[in-house]
Amino acid sequence: MRPRQAAMLAPAAAVFAVLFVAPFAFLFVVSFWRVKTFKLRPDFTFDNYADTFTKYLEPLVFTMAIGFAIATLTTALAFAFAYVIRFKAGRHGNALLVVTLVTLFGGYLVKIYAWKTILGTEGILNSALLALGLVREPLTIFIYNPGAVVVTLTHFLLPLAVLPIYGSLRGVRDITLEAARDLGARPARVFLDVVLPQCLPGVTAAFAFCFLIAAGDYVTPRYVGGPYTSMIGNFIEGQFSLKFDWPSGAAMAFTMLGACLACVAVSRALLGLARPR
Amino acid sequence: MTAVSNALWRAFGALVVALMLTPLALVVLFSFTDNALTNFPIERFSTRWFRTLFERAEFWKAFGNSLTIAGSVAVISSVVGTLAALALARLGERLANAALVTLCFPVMLPALVIGIALLVFFNKTGVPFSLATVILGHLVITQPFVILIVYARMVGFDYAAVDSARDLGASPWVAFWTVTFPMVSTTVIGAALIAMAISLDDFIITFFTIGGGNTLPTYIWGKVRTYLDPSINAIGTILLALTIASTVLALRLSRYRG
Repeated sequence: MRPRQAAMLAPAAAVFAVLFVAPFAFLFVVSFWRVKTFKLRPDFTFDNYADTFTKYLEPLVFTMAIGFAIATLTTALAFAFAYVIRFKAGRHGNALLVVTLVTLFGGYLVKIYAWKTILGTEGILNSALLALGLVREPLTIFIYNPGAVVVTLTHFLLPLAVLPIYGSLRGVRDITLEAARDLGARPARVFLDVVLPQCLPGVTAAFAFCFLIAAGDYVTPRYVGGPYTSMIGNFIEGQFSLKFDWPSGAAMAFTMLGACLACVAVSRALLGLARPR
Repeated sequence: MTAVSNALWRAFGALVVALMLTPLALVVLFSFTDNALTNFPIERFSTRWFRTLFERAEFWKAFGNSLTIAGSVAVISSVVGTLAALALARLGERLANAALVTLCFPVMLPALVIGIALLVFFNKTGVPFSLATVILGHLVITQPFVILIVYARMVGFDYAAVDSARDLGASPWVAFWTVTFPMVSTTVIGAALIAMAISLDDFIITFFTIGGGNTLPTYIWGKVRTYLDPSINAIGTILLALTIASTVLALRLSRYRG
């Protein structure tokens, strides 16, 4: 690398190092500290991690389970949608892609709020059902349960999952597909032996992405999950905004990230085993 | 057979598009009604909730903060990110890819983790929380997108014109401003607009790094927590209009497609 390129990379590297690596590393250090009379005390204790597993095991397991459900559902939907864009939509493919990109950057909080107003007891869905005469009383089953969290986060994550999968499907060349067909492969064979292996990196990336972001979310369970659907993110946020127990919040955050990585690794290994050869 | 299956695939595609757009469309629809609750039947269309909103000083304050932050983030991250992307484009492909994956790492983490890490970091290093800390926090998550978009444009960039300029005696500085920049400027503006959209839309990092005051998303957050007032639909519509307009413009300018 020549000096001029190094100088051009320097500001971005500085942002990365000072505003991401340093705070992240420091948070890791703090996870081994303790709090005494509302003050941080440097220490080297594993108590915060032990506490995470004893006090917060239930929300942690629940978070991993719901994260897995959301990531699986979103990846499956995103795969089918990316497949439509690449192979089935013809000249409309570009429009579908633009819709995906537009909803990607627009409205994290607005989307969650929208689902709250749609699913609520006095919400849009219930009022529509009442107006159509399909129900007599508003239904309470739509909101304040894990299902509402799954629907809301799947909606939010879908565009995020479509892009990496579409990116890898774009790499599947038409000529390869034609060759497979000319050699007598049936559509299912072509799909399993040609399309799927080539887009597996995109699918894995989308799954991991969705899993981490879903498991780390706390706004969705707060808005639409109700009092009995708290995810680990809600407890982490609480340690910072209410309890001021930063070391234990930090330990919970790193435990969550570790658990996510483990779940993603296991899912990936299972996918590898299930893959037909 | 194939005709039927193709029709089914297309119906599925249309259904997903409807699923993606309907919740957003409903927010916009109800922001233009007179309803005191966000539900059917719609009594009358009106701009009542926008007028209520525009009378509130706290809305204008949040709006101003959002624009200050997003504008600064767009300018800073597009300069920093473009410089990095131009440098990476001159590196070997393997090295450049490794650097891209590393620099994009923050985008793969939940924003909550970045938010709390920045909160603890700024607090312990004695940096006072303000709009400036929010801007710094947003650089972490917007810079990767700028780098990716500009780098994508530079792949397959024809350096012949730049080399000719240099051969004819232009300094690197002059060659950059007269040759390279005019060729990539629309992409850079597109990347800046994407950075702006991400910054405008961010709630979580803002929440942990702002200290006091509001941006549009934290203003929505506060309102949803207290009571569901239909003026939230109006703020949502304004926020969507800003982020979607900048994204659409960015896509037109940069021709970036994922």
